[in-house]
Amino acid sequence: MDKLGINLGYLLVQIFNFAIMFVVLKKWLYEPVLRLLQERREMLARAVEDARVAAEARANAEQEAQKILAEARAKADEIIREARDRAEEQKRAILEEAKAEAEKIKQEALAEVEEERNRVLAELREQIAALAVAAAHKIVGASLDEQRQHELLEEFFAGVKGKKVVVLDQLETAQADQVEVISAVPLTDDEKRLITEELKAKVGDAAITFKVDPSILGGLIIRVGDQVVDASVARQMELLRQKLA
Amino acid sequence: MEKATTTKWRWGVHRWFVLLFIILGYFAARAYPPIRPHVQLAPERLTEHPIVLPVIGEFYLTNTLVATFLVDIILLIIVWVVYRAVQKGELVLGGFAGAMEALLEGIYNMTESAAGKWARAIFPFFATITLMVLVSNWMELIPGVDSIGWLEHSAHGGEAAQEIAPGVWALVKAAGEEAHGEGYMVVPWVRVASTDLNFTVALALISVFMTQVIGVKAQGAHYFTKFWNTKNLFTVPVFGAIDFGVGLLELISEFSKILSFSFRLFGNIFAGSVMLFVIGSLVPVFAQSLVLLLEFFVGVIQALVFGMLTMIFMAQATQGHGEAHEGAHG
Amino acid sequence: MEGNIIEAAKLIGAGLAMIGALGGGIGIGLSAHGAVQGIARNPDAAGQVQTNMILGIAFAEAVAIYCLVVALLILFVF
Repeated sequence: MDKLGINLGYLLVQIFNFAIMFVVLKKWLYEPVLRLLQERREMLARAVEDARVAAEARANAEQEAQKILAEARAKADEIIREARDRAEEQKRAILEEAKAEAEKIKQEALAEVEEERNRVLAELREQIAALAVAAAHKIVGASLDEQRQHELLEEFFAGVKGKKVVVLDQLETAQADQVEVISAVPLTDDEKRLITEELKAKVGDAAITFKVDPSILGGLIIRVGDQVVDASVARQMELLRQKLA
Repeated sequence: MEKATTTKWRWGVHRWFVLLFIILGYFAARAYPPIRPHVQLAPERLTEHPIVLPVIGEFYLTNTLVATFLVDIILLIIVWVVYRAVQKGELVLGGFAGAMEALLEGIYNMTESAAGKWARAIFPFFATITLMVLVSNWMELIPGVDSIGWLEHSAHGGEAAQEIAPGVWALVKAAGEEAHGEGYMVVPWVRVASTDLNFTVALALISVFMTQVIGVKAQGAHYFTKFWNTKNLFTVPVFGAIDFGVGLLELISEFSKILSFSFRLFGNIFAGSVMLFVIGSLVPVFAQSLVLLLEFFVGVIQALVFGMLTMIFMAQATQGHGEAHEGAHG
Repeated sequence: MEGNIIEAAKLIGAGLAMIGALGGGIGIGLSAHGAVQGIARNPDAAGQVQTNMILGIAFAEAVAIYCLVVALLILFVF
């Protein structure tokens, strides 16, 4: 043992030395360092936890935001659609109104024009009659008296001969709501009344409208439903030309 | 591009330094040929007369005791540096303290993976043994340790001494006949503590003794059934006796642990330092550097092995031998 | 001359004693072999394998250490 160098005294010195170092190192090295490690571990865990919570909160907020956004978008869409619908409706209403207005104005204007024309034509009728009588006078040579001339003209213009509407003879008895009477010049009130009476006798109660169309030159065209009686001068001249040709 | 060239240039410088030192070593070896020193197992006494202290009595100061105190001082400096760094309150230590902390963290994690909740009790032993042995082992690498000391006259042979400077002497090879008989030898002031059996046996005793203490702490009186296992002796025919025998073997193995612990460390480091002498005297130029490198690793490995084995034995002592067996059978 | 014979016998004895280190070397080699293979098969268990390997190496080395001790005793003590 002695040659190996093992000696109880030195052994004890080494053991106590180790004990002293053990205590010193434990107190002033291991405990602080372990505390530090512990702290760091806890801090890391806390940081990870915090990060996780933050991430969760952010995810939640994002979801919330998405939801709110979607809702807002849906609402906005609805509002826009409603507004568009309303605008559309308004537009249609305004357009319709405007169209109706325009139509009315046009109708009025047309009616006015018609009336004016009728008035002018009524004035012309006398002159035409006078011119026609004068011309006939020259051709036939004064053989026609005043009364006869008037009757001729009436027949020519209104198809009325001896207080009777000759044109109506061709009309078959029919039932209709609408009756249209077209003449070349405006008819006088007497003539209108006469035609009305006779038409009522033939087709019963019907709304009778009088129209003026100078292009038929003379006579009457009567339209009862889908039945047309063409007794106009223009028609007769057309028939004559076909016969001559 | 420029950086690469500078790096290359520096490498060149280092290479030439190495070559320069090899050449210098060659001339130094030519001028003063190295001598194989005296090898002695027991630590040398530095004082001719015993130091008398009031309580302890008289004792001789040995060179390994000096080394032990140097180890203590180095460890205290480390403690002071790390403690000051920790007191600063930073969560991440820098520099040397950071390195120490990383080492301790590694040791602690190792302990925790093996011992679980007993890590806190076991860790200080593991760390203290590792640090002490590591510092002690690495002292071997310092030039001058093991080679500078008193010149002592020896009657059993030795070498001649030559004064190379006022008050400084060096051993030189004795010429011819003078090699035998009287001569001088060096008693180094510092000899690595690990090459003193007192140091290693003390550590081994503490390690084994504290293993028993921790075992009792963890399992109470049940711990001793590991050694004196009479539970199955009379109930189970053959295996009861075998278990009892195994328990006795465990008891013997506890004592053999002391032996293997102390002689493993002592043998490795003592053999290392002897190898350094021998290589240094046989091939004085450069070869010793490689052995120094090897000793560096041996020092780390032995320190870790001593600490880790202590830790593992302690962890096993806490876990309970019998329960593990029952678990294995059931 | 007598002294020299004893000296020679000591040196031879020490050398013979160190033959026992052969076993320790083989044991360490085997345990390192097994550990490296185990780590290669299951790199995740490297830490555990390493710990056990060092433990095994320490036990194997203990035998070689006994040889060293005997050799040292022969050389320096007797």
